[in-house]
Amino acid sequence: MVLLQRPHILLLLIGTHQFLQCWIAFGSVNEEGQKQAEFSEELLLKPLPDHKLLAHFHFQSSGPPSTSNGCHHHLFPKAISQLVQKFRIKEMELSFTKGRWNYESWGGFDPLSSSNAKPPGVELWAVFDVPQHHIDASWKNLTHTLSGLFCASINFLESTATYSTPEWSFPPASGNVRYGTLPCEAVCTENLTPWLKLLPCRDKAGIALLLDRPSLYRGFYHSQQLHLTSTGSSSEGIDSGIILEQTLTVVLQPNSEMAIEVHASEKHIQPSWSLSSIFGKQVSGRCVLAKPSSVYLLLDRGLSAANGLTSENFWSNPSFELSANPDRIFLEESSSHSKSLSILYMFQVEKYCESEPFDIGLMWKVPVAWLCQQTPLHASRFLMGSGNERAAIAISLKSTQFTEGFMSANSKDGSCELRVDVFQVVPWYVKVYFHSLRVFVDQQPRAVSDIIEKIHVSPSKDKMSPGVMEVVLKLPCRVNTAALTIEFDKGFLRIDEYLPDANQGFDIPSAIISFPNFHASMVFLEDDSLNKSPLLSKFQEKCPVMSYTEVLLVPLTTPDFSMPYNVITITCTVFALYFGSVLNVLQRSVAEEERFLKAKAAKKTGRLPLLLSKLSAKLRGRRLEPLHSPPSSSSFINSKLVLKVILVAGLAVGWQYFFS
Amino acid sequence: MAEISEAQDSDSSKLLDSDSKAPQRPDSEPEFDPKLMRKSKPGLKRLFLTFSVLFSFLLGFPFLWKSVEIYRFPLPFREIDSLSTQLRSDTLLFPLHFHALFVGFDSDPDRLRRSILSEITKLTSQNPKCSDNYTLSVTVDLGSRCLRGPTSSPHSSSYQCGSVTAAAFVQNDDVAVDERLASVFGGKTKEYSVAVVKGGSERAVVGKYRHAWMVVGDGSDVGMAAVKVAEVLVKVFINGGREEGLIRNEFMPVGADGKIVLSFNLLNADPHDWVYDWDFEKIDDTLLTPMIEALGPVANISVESQVLYHTPKASFSYWNQKLESYVFSTKDLPFFVNSNEWHLDTSIAAGGRSKILQFAVYVPSAKECPLLLQLPNGEISKTNGFISPMWGGVIVWNPQGCLKDSEFKPSAKNIIPIQDLENMFEVFIGQFRQLFGFKSLNVYTNASGDWNLLPSERGLTEWELDVLSWQHTCFNLHSCATTLGSLSRLVQSLPRMIIKDEIGKQVKLSLEAAKLALSNASSGVYESSAASSSQARSLAEDAFFDPSIMSVSYYSFEHCFAVYSPFFLPVSMHVVLAALRELKRYKQEKAKYLAWKAKANTAT
Repeated sequence: MVLLQRPHILLLLIGTHQFLQCWIAFGSVNEEGQKQAEFSEELLLKPLPDHKLLAHFHFQSSGPPSTSNGCHHHLFPKAISQLVQKFRIKEMELSFTKGRWNYESWGGFDPLSSSNAKPPGVELWAVFDVPQHHIDASWKNLTHTLSGLFCASINFLESTATYSTPEWSFPPASGNVRYGTLPCEAVCTENLTPWLKLLPCRDKAGIALLLDRPSLYRGFYHSQQLHLTSTGSSSEGIDSGIILEQTLTVVLQPNSEMAIEVHASEKHIQPSWSLSSIFGKQVSGRCVLAKPSSVYLLLDRGLSAANGLTSENFWSNPSFELSANPDRIFLEESSSHSKSLSILYMFQVEKYCESEPFDIGLMWKVPVAWLCQQTPLHASRFLMGSGNERAAIAISLKSTQFTEGFMSANSKDGSCELRVDVFQVVPWYVKVYFHSLRVFVDQQPRAVSDIIEKIHVSPSKDKMSPGVMEVVLKLPCRVNTAALTIEFDKGFLRIDEYLPDANQGFDIPSAIISFPNFHASMVFLEDDSLNKSPLLSKFQEKCPVMSYTEVLLVPLTTPDFSMPYNVITITCTVFALYFGSVLNVLQRSVAEEERFLKAKAAKKTGRLPLLLSKLSAKLRGRRLEPLHSPPSSSSFINSKLVLKVILVAGLAVGWQYFFS
Repeated sequence: MAEISEAQDSDSSKLLDSDSKAPQRPDSEPEFDPKLMRKSKPGLKRLFLTFSVLFSFLLGFPFLWKSVEIYRFPLPFREIDSLSTQLRSDTLLFPLHFHALFVGFDSDPDRLRRSILSEITKLTSQNPKCSDNYTLSVTVDLGSRCLRGPTSSPHSSSYQCGSVTAAAFVQNDDVAVDERLASVFGGKTKEYSVAVVKGGSERAVVGKYRHAWMVVGDGSDVGMAAVKVAEVLVKVFINGGREEGLIRNEFMPVGADGKIVLSFNLLNADPHDWVYDWDFEKIDDTLLTPMIEALGPVANISVESQVLYHTPKASFSYWNQKLESYVFSTKDLPFFVNSNEWHLDTSIAAGGRSKILQFAVYVPSAKECPLLLQLPNGEISKTNGFISPMWGGVIVWNPQGCLKDSEFKPSAKNIIPIQDLENMFEVFIGQFRQLFGFKSLNVYTNASGDWNLLPSERGLTEWELDVLSWQHTCFNLHSCATTLGSLSRLVQSLPRMIIKDEIGKQVKLSLEAAKLALSNASSGVYESSAASSSQARSLAEDAFFDPSIMSVSYYSFEHCFAVYSPFFLPVSMHVVLAALRELKRYKQEKAKYLAWKAKANTAT
């Protein structure tokens, strides 16, 4: 047969003729393959009001349906595909974040912030397609696999005390979801490298070339996400593949030296920037495998309004200058509730090559100030109370005034209501008293039943599960401030449950505040090209507005960690003393000792003891006994003791009297 | 306390008693010295008390010991030792049966048998670990009747006289002859047959099944044929036709759980020049699946593939003007695999201890194309690939586009032509055979001549699979014995290590499986022997790598001592000293009493 008769293969012998035949034969497969696995790379740049720049990298690979048991991978990363198959994941999101998203100045009411602003540390949630009783086992294995894959301590989410099961308030509302966070996880380049390994071109080509580690980690906010959706599940019979979205959102401070040179007098001018000045690198062509490979520049509604940009004059805008000509310009579809429109400039990376690298710069000519669109209510969370015993958590919601137009638009009749969902997980050692939940609206205490429409609570079990609170609040539209407070006791931990740095305190994960009636979406005109861009089609999706609160740091009573040994030593010493004295008493034969002493005294009657005994005899007014009898000696000692005690007591009384 | 005070009281009263008596009779017994004598018997109460404290203390020790004891499942250390000594001392014996058939010869089968046996013993003397316990029967077919030796052999009886004739070997189609012999020898029996046929052009072939044949010239010597027969039996059927020192037999690329993952990677060195994809699914079905099924008893094999981009090689290559291509030599091979850029990845689908064999197809970039491998003797490698034992293999595939005067223009995404892909996978199967220690050539050359080896469409012939299965059994049993041995050494060296029930259970099961494998091997049931040996090995590995062995709760004897000594050191000192002192006192008092008694006796 073929195998061993022709093991010496000369690959060069194959003629062109034969090759072409094969090529034709495989044409159909080729097309099919291209249809199946796709990869796209996109970068969105957005100037922020506080002189910063947001860069949002979006890589999306879609895997083909796993017809051949999913063992053969062409473009889609093997590791992810195997992960999905092994644990039967329907949907999963993993984010590594450093820094905190500044909702006030960077906005909270656009698709970018509601899906890419994440709590610090690691956040992981996953929806499984397995029977209920297997979910926890799958979750545990998944955390271990992910921690190996991303060089992070995600495996700490394995224990049941660290993850929770949201019932309905968490966005992918389903019973099979598991949610866990690690707020104190440090995120760094060792997490980014395995993340990049999932991209077909890694950071060797294409837009990912910009990911220069020092400039990335110098930023104010850095969030690296992995979102995967397995659209088909094997139980339903249809299988249409996996979609893997990898996003990296960074907020950077452009160097404003250039601006100072030009307009030294004007302090408020936005810093000018270019890709090479921010990242120190340029894009030298696309990743060959990426189908759309494009860079976008987004001017959001506030900015375009401040610039006076309208659909007519955006070509010739006076306030800034772009260093490259955009290939396309998209205008946002006008919506009912805002006057101004976002503008999107698109640059195609395909046109550029190594000799002519792509570098986009933005130079401001006049100072511009604007505000980003914010969430209806700004949420913050803080701790109340002092001491190591009790405290309270307060979540305060403050109206941002920015969205008042919305509210009035939403209110059709007089009873206008604002729905707010709160999802809060607390670790078990924070023992929350759910009955102490109190609600304040405009600083007035209100009955809980008036404001809270729906509540779901699962109390924590010691060392078993965290406490979960899901609340739906119905607030009046005109609300200025609202606050939720809840009291808790600080629990005691066993000595081996403390973290290495116990005195730092323990983190309470961020609460999620979502506004299900508000949807952030950006719909851009010119739909024919939209189908191609996964980033823009993601912007079109209606996702509820969400924001995360701060992470709280609760100081718990920390023991002296050498205490066990101290306790052992002291108890043992006391016991040993007790034992020793008991034995001593057991052993002592008073009479015999007396005899012994007597004999001794008889042998050598020293001067001093004799004198002493004479003296004591005289003192007590008795005749001198030549030899001591045992009872007299003991009474002598006793009287001496009594004398001493009286002396000390007298001294103490005198002291007291003198000083008072 | 009440007891104590009472004891004191009674004791002191007794003493007082003796005291008060002493001055009463000073004159009746003037020699009475209170320092040396006493009249009353010394009291036992205090002695009893102190000793009861001491004894309760001593009695308490076992309870304390029990309470601080850690759980240790009693491992069968002796059985582990006996297994390893058994494996070390008596080699594993696989019973084999050989059958030599001589057609057209007219000689005594017993004489032939003796000469073949002596040749076999000459050849098999140097197999250290696993050896064979063979029997041999010889049949001389005279056409109408057969001469058998030994006459009462149960094995050769299946052969019917006259079914093999010289005429069948005249044709040159080896495959047809092979099939015919398979039907004659009843292909499925575990018997290795060699047919020696006189008459015709000289040829020596080893078939796909468990037989070989040899056609010798008319005038050739029977003794010479016997030597060759012995050689094929030992070198091919027992040793698998491999040469010593090529790859050590102990290395079987099979994971501890009996699994192998074949990970195929297509590496596009620089996708800017060209991107190649492959139609792996088709190749998987046609070429790999039969081989995987054939290897089923030895290992559970799964296949996966991926395409990677931006994966340059780590070594340099040089332009060779004469060959008009870039050349890398064998001394660059250690640096060829670029572990920084080739993220071949361990497989998530594979279990923890599966063996992953990586097979990589390297598509060079335009800068280094065509890329050829130069052998140490200056020739260009025909397969353009190499293996790395226990890791896998690499093939360099030069795309059509980089050849000179080719009108082919690479597009963005190309597919490797199926013909090339088939050739590539034939090389991979050859590499896979090499990783298992077999030769990839189909000729076995020896001192006495060449044997043609007929290849099987499954990649491995039946006799090769037999060899693998023995070798696998042998390797598994040895590795199981070593693992268990080191586990027992570890456990014995750490007396305060917790050993859970699971570990003990796994060790027991592993020992049972190993014993079963041994007994099956000696009775000739190879499949179940291989299965239970791999089970034994995986259980032993499970026991050794059990997470509880590395648990944190393992604490040393020093720790225990530090916790308990603050109490027990002072208390035990008190107790022991008190007991000693009391004993001494009692002895003294008793001596006094005895002295007085003796005196009293002499007085009366």
